[in-house]
Amino acid sequence: MATTTRRPANRRTPVLFRPASRLTKHVLLIAFGLFMLYPLLWMISSSVKPEDVIFREPGLIPGEVTGQNYADGWGALKHSFGYYLWNSAVITSLAVVGNLLACSLAAYAFARLEFPLKKLWFAIMLVSIMLPHHVTVVPQYIAFSKIDWINTIWPIVVPKFLATDAFFIFLMVQFIRTLPRELDEAAAIDGAGHLRTFLQVVMPLCVPALATTAIFTFIWTWNDFFTQNLYLTNSDNLTAPVALRQFLDSSGDSSWGPMFAMSIISLGPIFGFFLAGQKYLVRGMATTGLK
Amino acid sequence: MTLRPAAAETATGTAGPTVAPPAKTPARRRLHHRPGHRKSSRARSQAWAAYLFLAPWFIGLFVITLGPMIASLYLSFTDYSLLAPAHWVGTDNYDKLFTADNRYMNSLKVTTTYVFVSVPLQLAFALGLALALDKGLRGLSFYRSIFYLPSLLGGSVAISILWRKIFGVDGIVNTFLGWFGYEGQGWVTSPDTALWTLIILHVWTFGAPMVIFLAGLRQIPQNLYEAARVDGAGRLRQFRSITLPLLTPIIFFNAVLEVIKSFQSFTQSFVVSGGNGGPVDSTLFYTLYLYIKGFKNYEMGYAAAMAWVLLLIIGALTAVNFLMSRFWVFYGDDN
Amino acid sequence: MKRILAAAAVTAIALSATACGSGDDDSGGKTKIVFSYWGSDSRQKLTESAIAAFEQKNPTIDVEGDFSDWDSYYEKLATKTAAGDAPDVMSIEIRGLAEYAGRGVLAELNGKVDTAGLDQGVLKAGQVGGKQYAIPTGVNAFPMIVNKKTLEKYGEKAPDDKTWTWDDYIAMSQKVTEKSGGDVWGTEYNENPAFLQIFAAQRGEQYYADGKVALSEQTIKDWWALIKKIIDTKAGPGADEMLETGTKPDQALVATNKSAFGSWWSNQLDTLTKGSGQELDLLRMPKAPGATTSGMFLQPAMYYTISSKSEESAAAGKFVDFLVNDPDAGAILLSDRGLPTNAKVVTAIKGKLSPADQKVLAFMDAIKGDLSPISIPPKGAMEMEDILKRATDSVLFGKASPDQAAKTFLSEADSALSQ
Repeated sequence: MATTTRRPANRRTPVLFRPASRLTKHVLLIAFGLFMLYPLLWMISSSVKPEDVIFREPGLIPGEVTGQNYADGWGALKHSFGYYLWNSAVITSLAVVGNLLACSLAAYAFARLEFPLKKLWFAIMLVSIMLPHHVTVVPQYIAFSKIDWINTIWPIVVPKFLATDAFFIFLMVQFIRTLPRELDEAAAIDGAGHLRTFLQVVMPLCVPALATTAIFTFIWTWNDFFTQNLYLTNSDNLTAPVALRQFLDSSGDSSWGPMFAMSIISLGPIFGFFLAGQKYLVRGMATTGLK
Repeated sequence: MTLRPAAAETATGTAGPTVAPPAKTPARRRLHHRPGHRKSSRARSQAWAAYLFLAPWFIGLFVITLGPMIASLYLSFTDYSLLAPAHWVGTDNYDKLFTADNRYMNSLKVTTTYVFVSVPLQLAFALGLALALDKGLRGLSFYRSIFYLPSLLGGSVAISILWRKIFGVDGIVNTFLGWFGYEGQGWVTSPDTALWTLIILHVWTFGAPMVIFLAGLRQIPQNLYEAARVDGAGRLRQFRSITLPLLTPIIFFNAVLEVIKSFQSFTQSFVVSGGNGGPVDSTLFYTLYLYIKGFKNYEMGYAAAMAWVLLLIIGALTAVNFLMSRFWVFYGDDN
Repeated sequence: MKRILAAAAVTAIALSATACGSGDDDSGGKTKIVFSYWGSDSRQKLTESAIAAFEQKNPTIDVEGDFSDWDSYYEKLATKTAAGDAPDVMSIEIRGLAEYAGRGVLAELNGKVDTAGLDQGVLKAGQVGGKQYAIPTGVNAFPMIVNKKTLEKYGEKAPDDKTWTWDDYIAMSQKVTEKSGGDVWGTEYNENPAFLQIFAAQRGEQYYADGKVALSEQTIKDWWALIKKIIDTKAGPGADEMLETGTKPDQALVATNKSAFGSWWSNQLDTLTKGSGQELDLLRMPKAPGATTSGMFLQPAMYYTISSKSEESAAAGKFVDFLVNDPDAGAILLSDRGLPTNAKVVTAIKGKLSPADQKVLAFMDAIKGDLSPISIPPKGAMEMEDILKRATDSVLFGKASPDQAAKTFLSEADSALSQ
């Protein structure tokens, strides 16, 4: 890359100072990271403690390590926990596809095309995310119940294919608008229609935004307890976050150990998706523009 | 693929104006019509294309989103209890909100404090870390993942316990204070400090805006920095003249969305306070109160009225945000 | 305005519900009923096996369990009720009874469930306006839990619970805290309305009467004074520490061996004992000097109810009947939903109960002659626990004087209950 060869031109940082500052940076970041992660570390440590001592011996270092909570948690419910993870994975993957398709289409129209009442539609889109969902959930439930969609994944997945997550439309609009318009115009001169411009010019340059959308859709759908709990009530349809709550009983005997253990397991897929997705955060115009 | 060279060229072409500080760029047209020749036929074909692109969204809007919204507006003028049919009560619910409900006013105060303290803090945090984690260090993707982890945990049921491990009577904060001879307290369960622990919780889950900032930083053409360096611009100057202006649409996006989302914050106070917004209503967020009214006290009509007032509040703030953005947000598609 | 909005709302919903499907899919001639309940994984397991046992005895009925965690239970139930999808058999607890019965959600159970074998006194707690809308699943008492070993360790002897007073209780707790050097608290306390109810009953006052709060201002203030005394004398921890664990038996101070006394529902003894790993016992609550009753009462742990919209109410009735009257169901569920009140079931399962539950059974037997009547919270009472909690906390944290707080409590209670 051209950047590295240019480095010496930067005269502001003394050469001798640089490695040390890099080390300090690492130390600071690690210290800060540990501080940020304390709750997670505590949860991991609790998940390997025998269940009855979790609150009696609340320290970070477990006195006795056991895999019992993992074994118990995995088999505690009607199905093995893997079954619920799979349910979550199906819904979440469909949601990601839906949001990527529908939201990017809408975003392109708002960012690049002219049409009557555009400002009004844009405002309506924003307004639709301002109403707390607690008051729309009942009418929505009634509607989905009328068409017999309760206990199916459709009330959760279909809205994603209809771009009801306006958050992501707005996100992509903002990203597309950072791109110079000359790009589209060059494509238009080449004879490209809107669909081709969208697919071949705008989308490739929006990879970071698409990755962001995919990551967030995945994580938020995965963690969306409220909707899934409402629509998937049959014990064969439960998803991971709903299953997790079944370990808790606020009026009696909660299974904290298995809950911590399964929480950590269900963090796995979302963390994995984040790791995979964040690679695409680097490939935007930063590279395409230079090569 | 034939377009690549053109892209590079035009990107360099915009380098000139962008290096100038954003304040000096002329007032810009945002969602306006771009003047062009053969306007009518081109405009018409563009409108058609736009509607096709928007088709899924339109279907979703009319079939899924608008219906329940209108229904809730109607319900806000009724005594709907969820369990029995609704009766029209006129503006009773709205009257009661503003004249006879102290808890409502309190929830508004709590939420406003929360939003105006935690959003700027969280965004500053997210932007700072995004810049630190953007380039120039080994293992950056590792750090990024680490710093994102809290956001994965933020909405989990486990957080009620985990937060007490930090701010509880036996939490690490008190252990830490103990080293200096201070006797701590249960920060989460004291009315004077409970809200602040939730603010910290919000700042702690800064992962989402951080990722969006990172994605935005990746969107900035690197050759602009090249050009700036050739011109002898230092690091700070590059930041002020390139990074910041080109990142403004993303900063704007994060600010607008975080304000909207924070006003609707629910899960954290629900989980940490055990569902009642306590102690003594000190963490009674707007939507938590709305939820309690709707689903615990069976006053869904009243809850719907609260929701529409909230919509007006957020809408007004967002409008202000958009108006202000004319003065500081720079778009690549402006000429 | 009204018409336009209503019309718009109706069309909007009709639009979204284009294909109006029919709800009943008969699977092979079987009658299907839905049973909703809340709890944790262990309750789910028990309930699923009870359902299986029922289905075996009634091969034509198919029961689907609709299970949810407590925090979202009522929200889900209300949403389903609003959509006309209410489960055929619903679990409800005492605060929701008047609300659901009063709004016509519940069916009358006369003739649907055989109630002859149940404890008739407890059964009354399932009546609203003289009609039987709900069948208690089992009963709980609200006793004082004691860890005798901790008491002995710090030189105290277990009290005689027939005579001990509130002052004895505080003095003893204070000594435990003192002698342990702060390692252990003498007692934890609880903002549970049941505590206040017992305290009031000892003065001859009822919590509710005629759909209203019947407590006097003075009683409420004296109750707060009692809690304040616990805090001020260091008999128990401060309010902030208490709130952290106050409603969670698995993290309770008695369950982590950090206090000698604590007051909890009797069905939580099992959880507390498991947490502590030591022997815990039940005591009558301390008395006010000169009181003629200990104020102890039995409260249904929860109820089984049937939806008034259920198309299969006969099958639903059969299922409820099985759950409360059949020893086979009792042998599976044991004390999970409180101790059963059907004497036949109790005898059948006695030997299978855990040692903690055996203690509860013996305790309930012992207090039988000294019980105050159950007072059923009126409609609107879902809010009452939070109203009391708020007022109590405002006093304990010094945000309001007891005088102010008592007035706020009574006026908020009035407006909640008058709706």
